[in-house]
Amino acid sequence: MAYFVYLFMVGLVLGMAVVAVNLSPYFAAFGLVVVAGMGCGVIISFGGSFLSLVLFLIYLGGMLVVFVYSAALAAEPFPESFGTTGAVLYFMGLVGVVGVFAILYIEEGSGLGGCSSDEVMGMSSCVTEYDGMSQMYGPGGFLLVLCAWVLLLTLFVVLEMTRGSSRGPLRSV
Amino acid sequence: MSPYILAILLFSLGLGTTITFSSTHWLLAWVGLEINTLAMLPLMAQNHHPRAVEAATKYFLIQASGAAVLLFAGVINAWLTGQWDIHQAAHPLPIAIITLALSLKLGLAPLHSWLPEVFQGLNLTTNLILATWQKLAPLALMLQIQPPHSSLLIFLGLMSTLGGGWGGLNQTQLRKILAYSSTAQLGWMILVVQFSPSLTTLAILVYVVTTSATFLTLKLNKATNINMLAISWAKAPALMALTPLVLLSLAGLPPMTGFMPKWLILQELSKQGLPATATITALTALLSLYYYLRLTYAMTLTMFPNNITSTPPWRLPSAQLTLPLAILALAAISLLPLTPAAMALVAL
Repeated sequence: MAYFVYLFMVGLVLGMAVVAVNLSPYFAAFGLVVVAGMGCGVIISFGGSFLSLVLFLIYLGGMLVVFVYSAALAAEPFPESFGTTGAVLYFMGLVGVVGVFAILYIEEGSGLGGCSSDEVMGMSSCVTEYDGMSQMYGPGGFLLVLCAWVLLLTLFVVLEMTRGSSRGPLRSV
Repeated sequence: MSPYILAILLFSLGLGTTITFSSTHWLLAWVGLEINTLAMLPLMAQNHHPRAVEAATKYFLIQASGAAVLLFAGVINAWLTGQWDIHQAAHPLPIAIITLALSLKLGLAPLHSWLPEVFQGLNLTTNLILATWQKLAPLALMLQIQPPHSSLLIFLGLMSTLGGGWGGLNQTQLRKILAYSSTAQLGWMILVVQFSPSLTTLAILVYVVTTSATFLTLKLNKATNINMLAISWAKAPALMALTPLVLLSLAGLPPMTGFMPKWLILQELSKQGLPATATITALTALLSLYYYLRLTYAMTLTMFPNNITSTPPWRLPSAQLTLPLAILALAAISLLPLTPAAMALVAL
């Protein structure tokens, strides 16, 4: 089981390195899918199954799909991919930097290097995850209303910024 | 812009600052800062001119990265100390990161290069909001954190007064001059924030008054560079006579109001055993004084060449509301004798 967690964490770092190499957006979107998937696995290993389901649905199923559609609208004939000069080296350099820091700075006893089967962390008897989510609707009602207002504000901001489509300076499709 | 949208944006601008002021949780402080950033963007880009949209883009990138770093530092603090409260004792590493994030959002040197370019792309009214209201929320957070290392804040303060003074010397565009002046004034505020937060409060209040008077003057004269300022003397002679005093108040020259915070800050620095810092700060204020004097020279002390029809213009009633400018200019010039009352007001 611990190997699954190691696999998820390694996949997380590799996916993030793919995003950071800054290729064409399609590859970045693929990297983000990998990051979100592996991240959800790490969250499950800490006991947050509902949270990881919500992450999959909203992040991958909502936001990333919208991003992929928007990126597809700005298609280019020769996207920069892993075959171009320096991309693979940059990727290996990023992963190497992460590895160097991991080897140097992660001690044995802390939870940062993953847990073996006899160092289980965070498996409490009360499931605090659902409790946290219900807090948002009860005592945290103000923050919920505030978040709803912020989302509405973001809608107005985006509509106002893109007013005029092709007549304005922002590129239209 | 539709009045409904304008109302929503201005309301959100007020809401964001209020949330950051009243929050004790790092997440809520971040929410307030992000609301301010979001609501400011359409106000900046409302005429959809490429230059304005470029300024809005630069502003968004800078403020979003500053807010993201602030949020990450808050999370690191929660990891290391187990609590999210702003006022509780915090680990020094996230505090240093938060200081740098807030100085990016405020435009303190050496993180100030975005400020002149953003100011230059906007009209004077939006610049006024950017220079005054948008500084309140990050400063409120800066007042509440207690950084353990004094050297970072002193470094930021000295760099800002120096960079703000030096950078504004070669400028002819008034909005860029005011951007560098904003950096310099914020440097003074940051210098004293760890010794006496009340003085930072006093300094930002006086700065809001003096810089609002300056922006409104420039807006009334429709002057965006020194040449236009120089030929605006005939438009409102009474204003022409008062503007040098307002500008020199911004520079911190007695007997105007602007001297009050600088005087008290130098006194506080000397009392804390930093006479060298106080001396260097006072000397860097001379750099800023030079470009304020240049503006005074251009507007009032000389009559620039002009054609004969511009010199006695029709004095029509101004389309701009002049009462705020009248009140702010008077407050910027004549409130120095109220120093003891001001010190009591900010609980010095």
